[in-house]
Amino acid sequence: MGNNALWIILQKLRTPLLVIIVTYSIAMLGMVLIPGMDDNGNVYHLTFFDAFYFVSYMASTIGFGEAPYTFTYQQRLWVSICIYITVVGWFYGIGALVSAVTDKTLKFEMMRNRFRKQVQAIKNDFVIVLGYTYVNAEIIKKFHDANIEVVLIDENENKINHFLLEESSHDVPVMIGNALLTETLQDAGILCSNCKAIVSLFNKEEENLRISILTKFLNPKVKVIAKSTFSDITNSILDTDIAKALNPFEIFAKRVDIALASPHVLVLENWIYQNSDLMDKAMFLPKGKYIVCGYGRFGKLLQEKFDKHNLDSVFIDEKRLANREMMESGKFIRANPDDKNVLLDVGIKDAVALIVGTQNDIDNLSIMITAKKLNPNIYLIARENTMQEVSIFQVANIDWVFMIEKILINKTSLALSKPLKNRFLKLILNKDEVWAEKLVKLLRNKIGANPKLMTLKINEEESYAIYNELLAGNEISIDVLLHSLSNWQKNNNIIPLLIHRKNEEILLPRNRILQIDDRILFACTQESKEEIEIIASNIYDLYYALSGKEKESPILKKLFG
Amino acid sequence: MNLQKVVSGFFFILAMTINFGFFYGDIDNPELHSVYELFVALVVSLISTVLKIGDKTQLGAVLLATSLVADIQLISAVIVWTVTEYLSIVDVEAFAAIISLSGGALLANITSVILYIGETLKSKR
Repeated sequence: MGNNALWIILQKLRTPLLVIIVTYSIAMLGMVLIPGMDDNGNVYHLTFFDAFYFVSYMASTIGFGEAPYTFTYQQRLWVSICIYITVVGWFYGIGALVSAVTDKTLKFEMMRNRFRKQVQAIKNDFVIVLGYTYVNAEIIKKFHDANIEVVLIDENENKINHFLLEESSHDVPVMIGNALLTETLQDAGILCSNCKAIVSLFNKEEENLRISILTKFLNPKVKVIAKSTFSDITNSILDTDIAKALNPFEIFAKRVDIALASPHVLVLENWIYQNSDLMDKAMFLPKGKYIVCGYGRFGKLLQEKFDKHNLDSVFIDEKRLANREMMESGKFIRANPDDKNVLLDVGIKDAVALIVGTQNDIDNLSIMITAKKLNPNIYLIARENTMQEVSIFQVANIDWVFMIEKILINKTSLALSKPLKNRFLKLILNKDEVWAEKLVKLLRNKIGANPKLMTLKINEEESYAIYNELLAGNEISIDVLLHSLSNWQKNNNIIPLLIHRKNEEILLPRNRILQIDDRILFACTQESKEEIEIIASNIYDLYYALSGKEKESPILKKLFG
Repeated sequence: MNLQKVVSGFFFILAMTINFGFFYGDIDNPELHSVYELFVALVVSLISTVLKIGDKTQLGAVLLATSLVADIQLISAVIVWTVTEYLSIVDVEAFAAIISLSGGALLANITSVILYIGETLKSKR
């Protein structure tokens, strides 16, 4: 029995239906049995049809009058009783029907049916997003830009309504439900083969763990993106093998690490995320003494990085305690950082940088204003917890703002919608400053401040011409794709960044022979992007790019010899 | 003893017995078939249908189906009777149709009762 909604209505209507049947039959039977009198004074009995006709319009209060002849007083006596029992029964039935239709469980079932149908109708790849928050809203936008469908679940009806008002361009199946239940996840299509991933960025991190485990058992092919900042939960999430744990604090600490060692890598990263272009000044962190406000999960991760680079650092936290060694050596001070004297005590005057990383945005701003007054040259790094205060942080003249939410948005959407860019990013994060600076200069000189990124797959759909040449056994180098179509001896402004194949990844490939199923990432201008696509898919243009000659059409050749 | 079981069992079997009472007799002799009996048979059959709604098991679904068959047969019989009588074309053929329709309903009711008894016997309580 698939249709739950109908069953709920029928079950609710059992008693009212019984009442209507019984009252009707009593009234009808009475009408048939009681003798009446016709116009000529003869005794007659109503037939069952007469009785049914009369009772029907009596019970529904339509009241056409007494038929077929005017009633006798005996009949009227019975009718006056019947009016009360049938009309009451009828209204009870209608009332029950109305309340059954507006019933909450029924509404939920109907919404669920609709949701299931919508999910099953999705043909493309899709991603399940749990919870509607600012972060997830941004992620959904990025997925839609990358042509990936989204299914949204939230417990809160208001949030879903809010989403439906905001979202207009795409048809997103939404459901009000508890995402932590297997049933809800199944409704959301977690068992579908085109469900690629599930995004679980709940602030209650146990829930993210739960989602990871549920998904592993329901469909291990689905990737899980889960937020996790506590190490034990992270480990459990990673233990499921299918989940990717995102720890925004660790991601940022890694950035500080990279900025200290090779700042141009960060320039590249920001360009790939499209946060800024390549002209952005590299973030050269000053060397010297660092003051960090906040010694929680974030502070501890930062400490590791400072130790690695042999930097002097002092931590201030009002609520937490550090180990004794740190307290005694003066590396940790338990005080309220938003206090002029405390900042002077830890030596704000001779510090080179201040990192404010408390959970309160207003505290963070206030500490920075104080610090800037005490030491105008200090380098400021601030943590911004929610996106609501974006504009204030922008005008506050902070050298480096890191937003937890922005990190989550960038990481999640890139990992799922642009896997090749994500691979490239992972590879360059391990490169050194010299390599990165060279690449940044090369990109800037050859293409410009903000090169476009494009990916090309060597398969039948995306690159028909090359695919067929490779199938025929011919060797084609990646350099062919760089040739200009107006003059094949010149190259377009293109830099191939990465070739990704089954068991090999080639950074900055030159003169490489292509293989079927390769995925290539290019940095290029808009015009050269189009030329790459044409060379890859059109056999005539490919022939020209290879040899400089026009390929003769086999049909024309036959026709004109 | 479960009162609900008593009530539903009562109506299921009553639907069958009254139906039989109407059906029994020469098929072409209107004097042997009371219109009151047909009326009661239809009402009881409708009641037993409503009582069967809500059981989502496999057997419950089949019981409901048999009951719906009986209802449709009886309602058809009633409609045939009403139409032929008001158009004054009551003949042997029309009357035989009424009785055979109720005979079909009787078969559905018998199936329903057999299923009901089977379920009762299978039940451990």
